[in-house]
Amino acid sequence: MRKTWAGFAGASLLAVTLAACSGDAALDERQTGNGENTIKLAEFPDRPYWGDTHLHTDNSIDAFGFGVRLGPEEALRFARGEEVTATTGGKAQLERPLDFLVIADHSDGLGATRRLYDAPRWYVKWVIGDETVLRWYDMMHEGPEGSQRAMAELITAATTDSLPEAFTDPERAREGTEDIWNTQIGLLDRYNEPGVFSAIAGFEWTLMPDGNNLHRVVMFRDGSDRTRQTMPIDGIDTTVEQLWDYMAGYEQKTGGKVLAIPHNANVSNGLMFEMTMADGSPMTAEYAARRAAAEPVMEVTQIKGDSETHPLLSPNDEMAGFGVKGWELGNLPLTATSTPDMYAGSYARSALLRGLSLEARLGVNPYAFGMIGSTDSHTGLATADEDNFFGKHTGNEPAYKDRAMQPQNLGTRQGRFGWHYLAGGYAAAWARGNTRAEIFDAFKRREVYATTGPRMTVRIFGGFDFTEKDWNGDWVRAGYTRGVPMGGELTDKGAAPTLLISALKDPDGANLDRVQVVKGWLDASGAAQERVYDVVWSDMDKRPRTAKGVSPVGDTVNRDKATYTNTIGAPELRTTWTDPDYANGQRAFYYVRVLEIPTPRWTLFDAVRFGFKLTGDALKDAVAQERAYTSPIWLKQPKATT
Amino acid sequence: MTLKDWVREPLVHFLALGALLYVGLTWGGTPVDPSSRVISVDDARKAQLALAYEQVMGRAPTDAELDARIERYVREEVLYREALRLGLDQDDAVVRQRMVAKMDMTASAAAEIAEPTEAQLQAYFEANRARYAGARSVSFKQQLYGDRGEAVAGLAGKTGPDYLSDAGQASSLPRAMNDAPLREVEARFGQQFVQGLAELPADAKWHGPVPSGFGWHIVRITARAAEEPDFTALRPRIANDWRSAEIAAREELAYAILREAYRVDIAK
Repeated sequence: MRKTWAGFAGASLLAVTLAACSGDAALDERQTGNGENTIKLAEFPDRPYWGDTHLHTDNSIDAFGFGVRLGPEEALRFARGEEVTATTGGKAQLERPLDFLVIADHSDGLGATRRLYDAPRWYVKWVIGDETVLRWYDMMHEGPEGSQRAMAELITAATTDSLPEAFTDPERAREGTEDIWNTQIGLLDRYNEPGVFSAIAGFEWTLMPDGNNLHRVVMFRDGSDRTRQTMPIDGIDTTVEQLWDYMAGYEQKTGGKVLAIPHNANVSNGLMFEMTMADGSPMTAEYAARRAAAEPVMEVTQIKGDSETHPLLSPNDEMAGFGVKGWELGNLPLTATSTPDMYAGSYARSALLRGLSLEARLGVNPYAFGMIGSTDSHTGLATADEDNFFGKHTGNEPAYKDRAMQPQNLGTRQGRFGWHYLAGGYAAAWARGNTRAEIFDAFKRREVYATTGPRMTVRIFGGFDFTEKDWNGDWVRAGYTRGVPMGGELTDKGAAPTLLISALKDPDGANLDRVQVVKGWLDASGAAQERVYDVVWSDMDKRPRTAKGVSPVGDTVNRDKATYTNTIGAPELRTTWTDPDYANGQRAFYYVRVLEIPTPRWTLFDAVRFGFKLTGDALKDAVAQERAYTSPIWLKQPKATT
Repeated sequence: MTLKDWVREPLVHFLALGALLYVGLTWGGTPVDPSSRVISVDDARKAQLALAYEQVMGRAPTDAELDARIERYVREEVLYREALRLGLDQDDAVVRQRMVAKMDMTASAAAEIAEPTEAQLQAYFEANRARYAGARSVSFKQQLYGDRGEAVAGLAGKTGPDYLSDAGQASSLPRAMNDAPLREVEARFGQQFVQGLAELPADAKWHGPVPSGFGWHIVRITARAAEEPDFTALRPRIANDWRSAEIAAREELAYAILREAYRVDIAK
């Protein structure tokens, strides 16, 4: 007897299908495609479009188990600014809508927990007949806490390759996935409004050997005419080369485009950015080229921590260490602890440096990625604002008033707590307008940046003849015509490159403390080096640079009220910066980090709102400087010398 | 009420659907009789299975695919009848929840599949115009000052359009926006600025200062769409909003009607 429960979803799926199909007839054809030729585009990218490329709904195996009952439609409505009712009952709304959303449910076991939950108990007991599945079933029905414990066990089972057969029957899983995928892409078209909101197809591919996180979000450029010709593929027990094969196959078959975004390198135990192939053999140029082409962007900051750099990797960077606590302890389910030798393969800055070394050897840089943030929220709600944070999953929505102090381990061991979660991660895409194609193309050319939630406008250009005078004219045109934007490449001409850097605060948020350039390069001996330069900051006359660096901006946060004031910092910082340590023939990258003044974290808002005390490390961590990371600009060597 | 109005009435849809379900279950379709051990998959059933497939996949199933669907249907039917025979539907919390959900779905199903008329969407739009205010467009020029005093001084005596274009402080904010929807203005200048803008006349004269997160602006509005947002451009969004509002309203109404017939005693 076949031990599955997919059939029980039949009735509800039919209803959902009808809903999805009903709108199709009425859809404007501008909505169903990739958005090309639908709106008037600006000559140059006109503003950063804000989005989340990593949102889970009740179709994700773990999200449903954690309790979420919001589906893709609620997720889309919420992202574009509508009020929805959160799973735990309260009203939820973004203060400002997002411009785009990628729904990225786990392809592995897509819809599986929902199907299990909806099945009658007798069916699970007698037909499926697996004790573990029945126990999870009972735990899920017992209440939210039981459900969360069941999911923790399920994730551990997935990481140790011991999922019950009922979850892995490929044929039934395929049918379930087919139904959900096709329903969803119909829905995405319905919510896709060129010029206003881009509803983008995607899924999360969840490879995690032994619990080491190698997850990617797969993001499509196309509308339903093309995405209907494919289906999400599973990640568990496969290899990343198989993912790239799938992506290449999609592009070949449909003429569409697709890319993959690695994330949570911080819980990969060094496997995300290795110096070798996955099997330990030397990396080949072919592998490096395929990786660079398929994965142009990395998600560097999200709720489960920040992967920019680790204090042990960047000991001279006084601002390193944001969002590292808790996550640095081990891999995703904490089934294996991290050791410091692993960090270089787990963080973005060291990976960018490794990319330079590998390029020197192979002639191609596998880790030449741009950077974005996204939420990875499992609540159906793309929230990244500190004062409006709906948690990592439904088990830590604001309805759980002491969520900040609760253990929040995905696995079964101790070590991670609610306050380790960041209310964070949005992606900013410099595009000429808001369509699927424009947003995707910005990702593809890496003209994107990450923020930990606030919407600062950060723009950089790299070139060789920029001067202060460029600010007086049309500097954006100058930037594009005489240089390259973030994500671009300059070829070494024997002179130091100059960056035009402009940072505007979030118009409705906190002032800026400073702008820094992070430079990474290979020195004459081929060793990787990094340095952080403070290039412009607020009140420069009152905050001189000393041997110890620029003095701190101050701190206006009232710990009893969770408030701050913009009496310190600056609303806008601009500068023209020329690399003082340039050396001829150097391989290098430059990216910009923008820091806000200190503001309350979500934990402090919770403490004030719900009237409890944060203690110990949670209290120390209740105020932070939120930030933006731009994609780098690379200084490349002419081909002949490689 | 005219016949046409009756046809539009959600309650009528609800009752009609209920009647259809009743007829379907008792007369038209296969009666589910736990004692029967005959399952007939007739042409009508096959067509239904094929249609369900087509609705999901956007194409008709192949013979093999249809056979697989039929096999699945038979399996479900066997297990379903056996389950009823064993009385497994009694006192099952999940069954109870699903039936509740199905009642809600019955009430809202008509809205799910309905194609709203232009008039319905227009009416919805008129009743909810404020929600679409972000699409209203404006054309303006602005100059930024670090504090209020400077902005007031900047404004003094400067009333014409030819006022120095590079006055105010240097900034990466756009000095002008043309035909920009308010949501675009807000994305760049913030909520406070958009609120301030709303209070200024569109008379092509310099006004202000208007505060924002960046400082103080003096502003010259050259055009402001007199018309509310354009219905045609907003149609996709309105259709989605109409549908979700309609579903909620129908569920609510259907419940209210049923609830009316009950007396509920709650112990004090």
